[in-house]
Amino acid sequence: MSFAARAWAVCAKDATEELRSRVATLAVLFFAATALALTAYSIGPFGLAEEDRPPLQAALFWIILFFAAATGLPRAFVREEETGTALALRKTLPGSLVLAGKALFNFGLFLAIAAVVVPGFLLLLDWKVTAPAALAAVVLFGGYGLSVVSTFLSALTARAGQRNVLFVLVAFPLVLPLLLTAISGTLAATRGADAWTPLRVLIAYDGAASCAAYLLAEAAWED
Amino acid sequence: MKALKLFLLPYLAAVVAAAFLWPEPAEGFIGQSSRIVFFHVPCAWTSTLAFLVAAAYSLAYLLRRNPWHDEIACAAVKLGLFFGILTLITGSLFASIMWGTWWNWDPRESSYLLLVFLYAAYLFLRAAIDDPARKARIAAVYALFAAVLMPFLVFVAPRVTASLHPQTVINPQGKILMDTPTRAVFFGALAGFSGLFLWMLSLEARTARLRRLGRRA
Amino acid sequence: MDTVRSTTLSAENLSKSFSGTPLFDGVSFEAGTGLLAVAGPNGSGKTTLLKILAGLLSPTAGRVRVEQDGRALAGSEKRLAIGWAGPDLELYGELTGEENLRFFRKAAGLPAGDDAIRSRLADAGLSEAAAQRRVDAYSTGMRQRLRLAFALLFDPPVLVLDEPYSGLDVSGREVVRRVVTAARNRGAVVLASNDERDFESPDRRIELRGAGGGP
Repeated sequence: MSFAARAWAVCAKDATEELRSRVATLAVLFFAATALALTAYSIGPFGLAEEDRPPLQAALFWIILFFAAATGLPRAFVREEETGTALALRKTLPGSLVLAGKALFNFGLFLAIAAVVVPGFLLLLDWKVTAPAALAAVVLFGGYGLSVVSTFLSALTARAGQRNVLFVLVAFPLVLPLLLTAISGTLAATRGADAWTPLRVLIAYDGAASCAAYLLAEAAWED
Repeated sequence: MKALKLFLLPYLAAVVAAAFLWPEPAEGFIGQSSRIVFFHVPCAWTSTLAFLVAAAYSLAYLLRRNPWHDEIACAAVKLGLFFGILTLITGSLFASIMWGTWWNWDPRESSYLLLVFLYAAYLFLRAAIDDPARKARIAAVYALFAAVLMPFLVFVAPRVTASLHPQTVINPQGKILMDTPTRAVFFGALAGFSGLFLWMLSLEARTARLRRLGRRA
Repeated sequence: MDTVRSTTLSAENLSKSFSGTPLFDGVSFEAGTGLLAVAGPNGSGKTTLLKILAGLLSPTAGRVRVEQDGRALAGSEKRLAIGWAGPDLELYGELTGEENLRFFRKAAGLPAGDDAIRSRLADAGLSEAAAQRRVDAYSTGMRQRLRLAFALLFDPPVLVLDEPYSGLDVSGREVVRRVVTAARNRGAVVLASNDERDFESPDRRIELRGAGGGP
């Protein structure tokens, strides 16, 4: 069986578990919906001057996406350690496979969050997007990078003390370049400006993070 | 190391004296503020050098699992944090003179703040793990992962937006825009700070090793 | 008919320390077929030693080798050549017993058809009805049987079992005894227990003394 098929098996298992327990899904979607409602209520479609809206909306968009993701994505490995199933996984699978499968699942979770937040912004904040294809690309590449880095760092912090706080501390400096670039790309997409430069940076970041995570997966996973 | 220590004291004293007495203040800067380049840039360079040393010894630890490599990597990060904070302080001093504000979220300024956060995150990660072997392995993995993503932090972010930061050293022309006396003191300071880093690294790593051997006894 | 392969599990000067205090050191043995009994008081390191043999923990010093027909196994081959079950092995509560085993077979890149799964469940004495229930609804005995099924999942030539009789009724204990007897004739079985009665005529024995003591 190919690496991809085996990683898909890990992703499918996580998805089955999640569909039956709904722990992470409810938490992240509830957070996203609450943050969206608060934002819409406080600034709404008319609460800001026309020229101020695009940069603030782009920044708020990614702040909501990131913090909603931070509620659920780190649970990838933490849940395995808490329930004691990590031993069975470690006995059977190499780190790279576990990481790939869980990153895939987390990417799916991120897309679920985006599926709530994007329509929310369009409807509740009167978000005007001139280049929807560019926005879709920024969300996809930005979300992929966030998923890979979050999953990898979750593997590092899963067995440490104070892991919830620790995850945010170790993730923040690494994820910030991605977020800044994604905000820049989102702003360009809303204005119809050149989104290709930030997209190139996102693709490069995603490639670098994926390669590094793959090469370091065994060392992160072993005991 | 003893020879290095004995050499460093008079050498750095000479560099500091030269920094204030020899080159004329550069054009385009307020008063004597351009002299900060002899301290600020070497601190920034040393902080980056520390990170590269940490990454190299982290790789060595993962390949050999020698605790000494982990001790050097950790010592390098601690010194990277120290010199990184000095970079931010000297940079803020310059900013307050040139632009009337201690901090203005300039991209290059901000990317160094994030580098300091990165060092701090590495040390928090180590502090959160009790088992020494696991602590060393996880810290090494984090250092290497961060090393791969660091170029996006330090080089890409400052280029995505415009910066107020002077481009005397790193600029699009790829030239160092300094006269001869300034260049001499600048490179002298770079060499001196690098030597200081090596000496401090040796002290810190040896202390860590003594602590580890003392625990085993 | 499958060719019978000769597999040897060997440990060379294994030692393990946590935060400087050695749990055991100098553990060495070589086992081709037969039962290796690992005994010792609580806290002597039996579980830790078995996890090291199974590749779940790294030793502080020494190494574990698995050789098959004279060739040293590494990576996935080595990982799947050793079947392991221990008291802290947990499987996924939201999945059924059958789904758990099917997942691990698929993720390991092996065929995961109904026959492959049901035969292993039957070997561990788990009924089809039990296999269709979620694991979080299992009793202690059923969980122990599922652990045994997990250990046998990849037809490993080497079995490492930590307290395999724990929590089992008479029929469960008989299932484990049958599995151990069949496995020790084909390859090495390493069995750790606090109860001497669990060791049926062991071919070799390791006695751990705990906190710095060797075998």
